[in-house]
Amino acid sequence: MASLMQSLKNSIPSWLTGRRLVIGLPYAWFLILAFLPVLIVLKISLSEMQTTAVSGMVSWQGTWPSIKLDVSSYLFLASDELYLATYLSSISYAFYTTLICLGLGYPFAYFMARAPKRWQALLVMLIMLPFWTSFLLRIYAWKTLLVNNGLINNALLALGWIDSPIEMLNTPFSLMIGMVYSYLPFMILPLYANLSKLDGRYLEAAADLGCHPFKTFWLITVPLSKAGIVAGCMLVFIPAVGEYVIPELLGGPNTLMIGRVLWDEFFSNNDWPMASAVTIVMLLLIMLPLAIYNKLQSKGHA
Amino acid sequence: MNSTALKWFGRSWMLLVYAFLFLPIFTLVAYSFNDSQLVTVWSHASLRWYKALMQDSDLIAAVMLSLKIAFLSALVSVFFGLFSAFALHRYRRFTGRGVLSSLASTPLVMPDVIVGLSLLLMLVSVQQALGYPERGLFTILLGHALLGTAYATVVVRSRLTEMDSKLEEAAMDLGCRPWQVFSLVTLPLLMPALLSAFLLTFTLSFDDVVLSSFLSGPGYSTMPMVIFSRARLGLNPSINALATVTIVVVTLVVIASTLYSLRQDRQRKRDIAQAQQE
Amino acid sequence: MENANKSPLANEPLLRIEGVSKIYDGLIKAVDQVTLNVASGEIFALLGGSGCGKSTLLRMLAGFETPSQGRIYLGGTDITDLPAYQRPINMMFQSYALFPHLSVSDNIAFGLRRDGMAKEAIAERVEAMLKLVQLTQYAKRKPHQLSGGQQQRVALARSIAKQPKLLLLDEPLGALDKKLRVSTQIELVNIIEEVGVTCVLVTHDQEEAMTMATRMAVMSAGSFLQVGSPKDIYQQPNSRQVADFIGSVNIFDGLVKQSPANSAQALGIQVECADALLRVPSNQACHTGMAVGVAIRPEKIVLSRKKPTAKVNHLAGVITEMAYFGAHTSYHVKLASGKVLQAQVQSHADEASADLSWGDQVYASWSDNAMVLLTQ
Repeated sequence: MASLMQSLKNSIPSWLTGRRLVIGLPYAWFLILAFLPVLIVLKISLSEMQTTAVSGMVSWQGTWPSIKLDVSSYLFLASDELYLATYLSSISYAFYTTLICLGLGYPFAYFMARAPKRWQALLVMLIMLPFWTSFLLRIYAWKTLLVNNGLINNALLALGWIDSPIEMLNTPFSLMIGMVYSYLPFMILPLYANLSKLDGRYLEAAADLGCHPFKTFWLITVPLSKAGIVAGCMLVFIPAVGEYVIPELLGGPNTLMIGRVLWDEFFSNNDWPMASAVTIVMLLLIMLPLAIYNKLQSKGHA
Repeated sequence: MNSTALKWFGRSWMLLVYAFLFLPIFTLVAYSFNDSQLVTVWSHASLRWYKALMQDSDLIAAVMLSLKIAFLSALVSVFFGLFSAFALHRYRRFTGRGVLSSLASTPLVMPDVIVGLSLLLMLVSVQQALGYPERGLFTILLGHALLGTAYATVVVRSRLTEMDSKLEEAAMDLGCRPWQVFSLVTLPLLMPALLSAFLLTFTLSFDDVVLSSFLSGPGYSTMPMVIFSRARLGLNPSINALATVTIVVVTLVVIASTLYSLRQDRQRKRDIAQAQQE
Repeated sequence: MENANKSPLANEPLLRIEGVSKIYDGLIKAVDQVTLNVASGEIFALLGGSGCGKSTLLRMLAGFETPSQGRIYLGGTDITDLPAYQRPINMMFQSYALFPHLSVSDNIAFGLRRDGMAKEAIAERVEAMLKLVQLTQYAKRKPHQLSGGQQQRVALARSIAKQPKLLLLDEPLGALDKKLRVSTQIELVNIIEEVGVTCVLVTHDQEEAMTMATRMAVMSAGSFLQVGSPKDIYQQPNSRQVADFIGSVNIFDGLVKQSPANSAQALGIQVECADALLRVPSNQACHTGMAVGVAIRPEKIVLSRKKPTAKVNHLAGVITEMAYFGAHTSYHVKLASGKVLQAQVQSHADEASADLSWGDQVYASWSDNAMVLLTQ
């Protein structure tokens, strides 16, 4: 075995050290699959549909290259009211989803962290179970529940609380239910991770100094869990802005979400430059939360 | 609010949220046994939809494809995730470390549609230049592997930070060359993390609909793609049957692994306590 | 512990450290131009507080860090550039670093397997090691199934299994509680001497260094303050820093009044202090008017109510503090000048000082030989 390794070693060029391999391999992987595509999207967003090949952008005139930039897609985006409204609507839905998830999730994570130790493994497992079962199937199930002759309407009718079925599907209401439902575990888990590590002695010290439990919560617990709150909010907000599946299955024509617009531009209209422009603007919108998220990540690993 | 009232408040809150989370799951399972074509009206219990599922060749082919892609993408994800986690954990300073760190964590939060579109446009450009790759299994695999690598990096890295760095030094001190240190000490200790990264990325790939839709080609429909297209058109009871099957499998695996790790923990604690008394 | 039956070799020392430095970022000198020879069979201790550079020096010996300057020679061979896995040096880590996924015998066999030893030979050696540390019946256990003391013995067995030329110990007793420490340190030294391996150990605990080492170095800010046997360093510290670092000490500050005109007189160097004129027996070079210190260890001071009649140095004072330690009692005696003297008195049955108490007027006395002149 040793001689095999030795002969393998001798055939490796000298510049390929172990360190270079370990760093270079994933670096190349991510550069090609995560970074390069964004550049190409940028390029295509600045071109016409016919010339979407990368080489189509640069043409030679004599010995000087001239780059043709077509900003028509962006101009259209900027002028069309519907696009503007859709962007705003997406951000607003994402914002409210984050808020509701925080409101539901924080107390949940708090009580989970305070539960007796031997129950906590079970509680975490029960949160993870929905996470591991197909997200698509669960959203589909909500369709079943919310439709006019679905479970919820039938139950309400049977109880006599309503006279005729409530239109619940394909409304902003059903969209929000789907959004909150999907993203709730993503809010709960970072919060729980943070709160369960909270040293109970801080709370004991506060009580010892005469602080009422309610005040202790706001003055000590919440500020100390700030990192968890920010992490949870970023994990919900950023992907929620560009969500496609939930609006498509549960939202209706009245729910404007930019993810659907992107999909339609690409698949239905086959307008690549337009879809790319929509993507670039979406990226710009989430740039700030993304930066916050990345900063949080690097701080956590310092 | 005194502490018992708080305790009951907490319990009810948690119960309600759990009920909210599990309601769709129970619905799927319950209605899979419903004989009626109308998903919403209960007639009587039957296995009609399971029989229909068995004969639904399109859906079964899609499930097979999804399983294949999920398995392969999980392998690739764990492979690159291992390298990526090592690069970020072991080497504190190298040019562009911040860039690698951002690139490795961004796919975790980036909206699927952005990842799908950008990756597709890049692959199309490559295809126009080189004539390869054709859209199909390979391109879907790339997309899932990108996402999976980001998740695997997080899982492996957290295990690396927990691991005692002195163990690797001890191995070197006792005569291990660097690659021996990795294969004899680091890798065995990383195994649990690699396994959980594999399961996580497998599930992610199996479940994905957006990336698959962007990146697949004619003749390559994954299970989520088939379910999604049917769900857009209406409600389809054989989906309930499929859902129940996956739910049962997942639940059994999750419960089994949780019980296993709990038992390992308890045994470990018992061993340590016993050693102290001797 | 004195090592009576081994004497340092007159010729080639086993370990030679020549002018070794470790400089970080071009500015921070963790180790500063250290030169040291360690003879075969010695147990050498590096003693110092945190940040003094002792751990860095140890890691350079092990091969985990490369020196910025200087060379290291082991048995005549230059090992400075050798990677850790090629050095005939093994280390016992402070946290033991036992491989959690391997059994006790696999841990011990680990290094032997890397050498390509034959299976039977490995099994023999492992058995011998287990017998040496008395853990034969625990061979199949995993590290987490052992107590702290047992884990340490496995770590020791593992580090000497390959019969290294040099054994490195990183704070060997650091993780143990007081009672276990005493018995462990005796066991440890016995095993090391039985095996006959040369040892360099690093510690911040002066008791550990003094009891275990045959020779030691007091280290501070990357360099050696003093090198010598524990007894020499304790009895004859070469500076205030060393005197103060090891044990407690009383230091009288003063100026040299008169140095001996000729060596035959050897009355000693007279030092004018605030409390008295002290005659210190010393042949260190000094000139009149030089500022020096006179060090006296607390246990060399005798307390009595009556003025001593014999020819000893004495000063009068009042007892301001008392602390009873069982085997001895510690007193603080305030002198006329305001200086507080520390005295340590063993608890004997017939001692005149047995009934001393707060506020008592006493005489503190000590012999000439109890004094050490500190020129630095």
